[in-house]
Amino acid sequence: MTYVALAYGFIWVAVFVYVALVGRRVARINAEIEDLRQRVKPGA
Amino acid sequence: MARRSWISQAACIAWKDLHIEGRSREVLYTMGFMAALVVLVFSFAFISGQETTVGPDAVAGILWVAVLFSGTVALSRTFDRERESEAIRSLLLSPVPRSAIYAGKLVATAAIMFLVELLLAPLLAALFSAGIMPHVLWLGLLLLLGTIGFCSVGVIFSAALLRARSRDALLGALLFPIVIPVLLAASRATAYLLDPTAPDLDPALFWTRFLAALDVVFVVVGLWSFEPVVMGE
Amino acid sequence: MLATMPSARRSSASFLAGIAATLVGFLLVPLLVANAPLEKTMGVVQKIFYFHVPCAWLLMLSTFVCAGGSLAYLFAGSERGDRLALCSAELGVLFGLCVMVTGPLWARAAWGVFWTWDVRLTSSLMLWLMLIAYRLARRYGGAGGRRLAAAMALFAAADVPLVYLSVNFWRGLHPNTKTVSSLAPGMRLPFFTSLLIFSALWGVLLALRMRVERAHSRLAELAIAVEDAEEESL
Repeated sequence: MTYVALAYGFIWVAVFVYVALVGRRVARINAEIEDLRQRVKPGA
Repeated sequence: MARRSWISQAACIAWKDLHIEGRSREVLYTMGFMAALVVLVFSFAFISGQETTVGPDAVAGILWVAVLFSGTVALSRTFDRERESEAIRSLLLSPVPRSAIYAGKLVATAAIMFLVELLLAPLLAALFSAGIMPHVLWLGLLLLLGTIGFCSVGVIFSAALLRARSRDALLGALLFPIVIPVLLAASRATAYLLDPTAPDLDPALFWTRFLAALDVVFVVVGLWSFEPVVMGE
Repeated sequence: MLATMPSARRSSASFLAGIAATLVGFLLVPLLVANAPLEKTMGVVQKIFYFHVPCAWLLMLSTFVCAGGSLAYLFAGSERGDRLALCSAELGVLFGLCVMVTGPLWARAAWGVFWTWDVRLTSSLMLWLMLIAYRLARRYGGAGGRRLAAAMALFAAADVPLVYLSVNFWRGLHPNTKTVSSLAPGMRLPFFTSLLIFSALWGVLLALRMRVERAHSRLAELAIAVEDAEEESL
């Protein structure tokens, strides 16, 4: 039974880690957008 | 100016490469030396103290691994000359169809590799007392088919990696997963041919046919994809 | 111009949707699996099959989608196809990792060894390696990296049946039976539900990742445009 739990647990962990990594990327993109926004505003 | 046929254009490119190689013999020597070294390395790694040889399975495996590893030398050099003198641009600007360039390069690289293998097989036979004479022509065919399969994929990758920095590191890493069926079929067939105790040669025939089918698939995909891959340069 | 970047906000929203979908799916699956009948010879351990097979399916699906996207990119110049190829390759590596972990776990529990050169697992391993190589080509392939990777994807897709066939004949018969068609009736529902949920998960992750990737490329374009504008105004 432990094997089943291990297997399933691993899948869960892997998918969540992946989603977390994607989330980090989203955060980075948002930060860059903000940065660009700041640069455009004073000049506009 | 007379329109040259596709085949003669491909042959022209192949002949150019072979001609240049014939004068310097650089790839021949480096690839040949590396292949021989790989075989030696395997000997030291696999033959235990008391024995003098390994079974036909191992000999076949050693042969093909040596071909694969040393083949990357030949492949990385395939487009090197074009890269060094920026000749690739003029080659692409010419009205030669890209598929003919691919075919020419494929033939030239495979021919060079095959030449080395012709020397490698007897070396292995001598080192491991492997019986290559009973089916020597068939073995030659296997070497040819396997080499074509390997090069058909390798030429594309070599062309695409023309300007990459980590070219040498990447070529093997990208190539090997894809050509594993080639390695498998070729080494299985070779093992059966080398095995004196094999009851019949049906498995060898099967694997040879499989290898031929693989070659067809890979060459077709290669002919097809060479142009879009290289046009980006 | 920046106002036309709502995709960033949409990325956050779909990101949350992705998490929600994952949670729901993963809560359902164990329930179904726990209620599924026990298999005769292997007992509880066989239940790994409910996750292992869908992951292997998704690995193959990812490979073919990647090849399809690469085809569109190479022969039609479709940027979207290239993004699709990139994202599905990533998912393929992810689910391939799941296959490579759950498979040996199952093998260990059922037959005592981690690896038995089983046809399907070996073929999956080859496929996984090809997708990893795809990722490497994209990252380190330099200027021609995208096209090289695309060509790789084409070869990989062509290779899928060939790898399977060659490993099949290499290994001969294996104790692993033709599982899906001979499933006991009680097992079919959990299995197909699990397959459905995993596929939905794959789809959601793909859509999410595609959104992010598109936002990323648009961001890159915008950044260049902003820099150009700044230089002009100087």
